[in-house]
Amino acid sequence: MQEIIRAENIRKVFRLSAKQRKIEKSETGQKVALDGLSFTANEGEIYGLLGPNGAGKTTMLRILSTLIKADSGEAYVAGHSVTREEEAVRASIGFLTGELKLEDFFTPDYLFGFFGRLHGLSAEQIASRKKEMFERFGIDRFAEVKVGDLSTGMKQKVSLVISIIHDPAVIIFDEPTNGLDVLTAKVVTDFLEELKKQGKSILISTHIFSLVEKLCDRVGIIIGGKMVAEGTLSEVRGEKSMEDAFFDIYKRTVEGE
Amino acid sequence: MNNILTIIKKEFSRFFRDKRLVLGTLLLPGILIFVLYTLLGNVVYDKNEVYTVKTIYPSAVFSSMFAPGEGEKQTIKLEEAKPEEKEAIKAEIRAGKVDALVVLPENFDEIVGSGNFVPMPEAPNIEIWYDSAHTSSVSAYNMIVSVLDVSEDMLGSLYNVNFTAGGNLSTETEAAANYVAMLLPFLILTFLYSGCMGVAPESIAGEKERGTIATLLVTPVKRSQLVIGKILSLAVIASLSAISSFIGTFLSMPKLMGGNIGDMLSVYPIGYYFALFGVMLSAVLIIVSLISILSAFARSVKEATTFAVPLMILVMLLGLSSMMFTTASVFAHFIPVFNCVQVMSAIFSLKFSLVNFIVTMLSNAVYIVLLIFILTKMFQSEKVIFNT
Repeated sequence: MQEIIRAENIRKVFRLSAKQRKIEKSETGQKVALDGLSFTANEGEIYGLLGPNGAGKTTMLRILSTLIKADSGEAYVAGHSVTREEEAVRASIGFLTGELKLEDFFTPDYLFGFFGRLHGLSAEQIASRKKEMFERFGIDRFAEVKVGDLSTGMKQKVSLVISIIHDPAVIIFDEPTNGLDVLTAKVVTDFLEELKKQGKSILISTHIFSLVEKLCDRVGIIIGGKMVAEGTLSEVRGEKSMEDAFFDIYKRTVEGE
Repeated sequence: MNNILTIIKKEFSRFFRDKRLVLGTLLLPGILIFVLYTLLGNVVYDKNEVYTVKTIYPSAVFSSMFAPGEGEKQTIKLEEAKPEEKEAIKAEIRAGKVDALVVLPENFDEIVGSGNFVPMPEAPNIEIWYDSAHTSSVSAYNMIVSVLDVSEDMLGSLYNVNFTAGGNLSTETEAAANYVAMLLPFLILTFLYSGCMGVAPESIAGEKERGTIATLLVTPVKRSQLVIGKILSLAVIASLSAISSFIGTFLSMPKLMGGNIGDMLSVYPIGYYFALFGVMLSAVLIIVSLISILSAFARSVKEATTFAVPLMILVMLLGLSSMMFTTASVFAHFIPVFNCVQVMSAIFSLKFSLVNFIVTMLSNAVYIVLLIFILTKMFQSEKVIFNT
């Protein structure tokens, strides 16, 4: 298997504000989000980063998408360094998270064109890709409605389509089904499986066990910014369910400290 | 380069397709300024005002003091009255029908003609009656007193002032230019600043606040391209907003100051307009970059607007500086914004210096590049982009 994403010993520390310091009961005024995290995702697989809230999943994905920088360590996406080849990394990934919003004022149709041009697509490429994706997700029904007037599910579909407008080889989704109704969530998970069939490499972060069991080939469990277990689904969970396996690992990790 | 154009196009679409923004930023400022200045002009300045002053015991010498000079308009209209009408006229002054009453000594012409010095208590008295509740009455009173003061000094005859020769050497062109030179740099800077304030916080802090900037940041666009595209499009929109304010100002100018737009504009050679354009362009780029940097620091549009207030006060003070002093020093033209004010003031007062202009343009170009560089660095910093 060819590796497509490799994170090596990533460390990231956030400075806390005075208020956060009280909540976190931190005396140093720092929060270690990632504490030497390493993992490898292979080409053509769905890799799941599983962990509780605050484990550092989102931080890791943000570093891979070059939105933020690691304090130390290095990561490669599709052969490009996230610290030295930011634009090349961004060109080869489709990154989707709930925090990436679209401007309310514009229509899905306009935004698709705008982001297509930013990705360097030609007018013909944009047109054919738009036709294909808008039909696939039923966006053509509201393509001319301003984003501000769309429902959450519709917005999520538009965001999804725009994040993979350039047909990237690597797709990184942060909590792909969070906040979605069951129907839209199903559309998204089905689409992820379809992308996998097309040979795309996918990295998702989640705290939903069923999603991991349904989609992922390999899984990495993050607790407290560290990778505590990594491997294929069966290697990590053994004979148990993902949920039971996770709590065993969690107990061992927390008590072992 | 393509990416910069794409960003600019998007910023323009965001602005020009939004009727409320276009109305609020482009049309309203001009219209409001026009209406405001026109109303203001009607209140404070009436160049055709003629004061009616009644005189008891009229005198040829006194009348000659208020005779209009060549090309001047009559401002005080003297009407003769009889001594027994005195109380009736006072009532008319209170009613605002007459502006003032002057009661001269009966033999005023003789007294003046004799040239004899009379000591204080015995000197003949001139009564001036007026009503301070009426502004026109006060104006008439002040005018009469000042004319009499000068005449009295000259009658004392140690020397005369501007009696047989002397006068104002300024041509009307220069007089108009001087007036405009004081006021315009301040107005221009104010309009440019409010134009920038109307768009920059919304475009930078607003996008941060709503989380839409992060969506842009995960595309392969370079941070510098994003910054340049934003700054350029914001500068254009801010300039359009300022132009709207100018049109309003120029249209209301005749009402406000009694000038004529055509006369005022034709004073300056065409080259000056190009220089003015260049200076204004560099000013708007500097201001828009500064506000953008403040907006990038801010967590919300509201915070950005608050941050921009001290900067606004500073810029306005610099705008006012040309009313207090002007400098031809080359070194002063290295100071951003201040140099724009000085060059604009020099242009308007017809004292344009090419060296100072070039120094201003070059140093401002350096500042703009520097500010864009800073903003690019800020866009690369997660502490700035994700501090909401």
